[in-house]
Amino acid sequence: MNTLWNNIFRSKLDEETLGGFLAKVPVFTELEKRDLGYLENLIHVRNYRPQETVFEQGDPGSGMYIIRSGRVVIFTRDDHDREEELAILAPGDFFGETTLASPAPRTVSARTAENTELLGLFRSDLLATATKHPDIATRILLGLTKMISERLQAATLEIRRLQQHSDDQES
Amino acid sequence: MNLNKAHFLLFYLTMTAAIASGLAIFSSASTITVLLRSAASGLFVPLLLALVTAFLLDPLVSSLEKRHIPRTRAIFCMFFLVAALFLFTGNWLISYAQNMWDSLLSDFPRYTSQLVNYLREAQLSWQSRLPFIEQYDLTGTVRSTAEQALSFALVETPKSALKLGSLMVLVPIFSFFFLRDGNNIMRGLVSLAPNRYFEMAHDLSFLVSRQMAQFIRGRIIEAAIIGAVVTIGLSLTDIRYAPLLGLFAGITNLIPYVGPIVGMVPGILIAAVDLGIGGQLWWIVLLYIVIAQVILDNFILIPVLISRVANLHPLLVILAIVMGGRLYGVIGMIIGVPIASAFKIAFIEIRHYRRAFALPDTGNDHHGQTGHTPL
Repeated sequence: MNTLWNNIFRSKLDEETLGGFLAKVPVFTELEKRDLGYLENLIHVRNYRPQETVFEQGDPGSGMYIIRSGRVVIFTRDDHDREEELAILAPGDFFGETTLASPAPRTVSARTAENTELLGLFRSDLLATATKHPDIATRILLGLTKMISERLQAATLEIRRLQQHSDDQES
Repeated sequence: MNLNKAHFLLFYLTMTAAIASGLAIFSSASTITVLLRSAASGLFVPLLLALVTAFLLDPLVSSLEKRHIPRTRAIFCMFFLVAALFLFTGNWLISYAQNMWDSLLSDFPRYTSQLVNYLREAQLSWQSRLPFIEQYDLTGTVRSTAEQALSFALVETPKSALKLGSLMVLVPIFSFFFLRDGNNIMRGLVSLAPNRYFEMAHDLSFLVSRQMAQFIRGRIIEAAIIGAVVTIGLSLTDIRYAPLLGLFAGITNLIPYVGPIVGMVPGILIAAVDLGIGGQLWWIVLLYIVIAQVILDNFILIPVLISRVANLHPLLVILAIVMGGRLYGVIGMIIGVPIASAFKIAFIEIRHYRRAFALPDTGNDHHGQTGHTPL
């Protein structure tokens, strides 16, 4: 069969719709299926060209980005403006989530590596949701808290391990 | 040689075409702006009223939405309630307002002639003391202004009834769409920002529009309360037109500094003419100045309803009134100051936002160039 006609009568797969994609992002796992439609209108879909800056270190941070397609490079700059690459993120990954709940300057810079579609969720939208649909906001915040506390736990363990390591080296 | 001629001809034709099209674009651009201006001229007031209505109804609609009623349905509910309110009070309200307006128009010459009398006495006493202002005919100016105002009111009353009819159609429609799609309109506008500035634009638009909504709501509620208090205070006396005077005081109260003074003039004048100098007149003066302005407005309403962010320098207030009056007449005078305050709110929010995120490490680059040693 001609591939042109392949998909025409099939309804869109779950992963292909925006809601289906969002349901798999860890922050939104607590959401129920009927909330996804609301979430689709809450987030902003932005398209980036290769080598476009998403944000720079020190910018006012006000939300998180989820990568739907493409790649994003996360890096820091030192005093001599040299870049140090920290990670390359792929579709399904997200970044900047720590500024979603409390405003803070960005601690890293993000730049796209290729044509990229990013989904942005920002604090102001979350605040508006909290007054209008407190239930949905609670579920988003619960997911966010869960994820951040898991990370915090992992970081605590890592710090303890490093501490032990340096203690061992000293003695 | 032949080629050269052809080049020359081509150059000539291109230049002619360029100049012609430039002229055409220029003239059509000016026609287009004229067209746009005349097309939009009647829409200014309905749009403004619709915006104000939308701002006032938005908290109510949102509170309905919180109870899991879809937004569109919530807006329809609010509109239904407001329409029902108008329907029940409408009959009584319209005849009452019409009677009052008609009797005011017939009484108007009496009040102005009395005002002119007061002024003449005052003028005579000034002129005896300061002979050099003899040329200035204050009485005549006031008299001709008053006559103009009366004839304007007589001519405009039927016309404004027509305008009122079109407002009653346009304002609900506009405010319905502002209420329903206001968020999406803002989102659409903000999403036009380039990727690099999108996040900041989005955040700022949220902060500014929140402040703005609070400010507009606060101003309107303040004016309504002042109007109601003045109406109630005046109806305790024997003065006529208490509701109209209260309405006037409320509307002029939207203008800081100048508005309250203008708002109390007709009330005190009518009281002086109808009731004479006596206890009631002093009560009315007291009501306007001490109760409405000093106690209620300054000590209670402004601190509670309006943040100090929106305070304008008196000089800016006067500039806004004069410029607003130049652009849009009386309506411009009333809304000039709130619009200037809105600009100030936006400006201050942006500055505040920038300062909140200006951390020492973002300034590092500049320090590095001036030989600053990193800590």
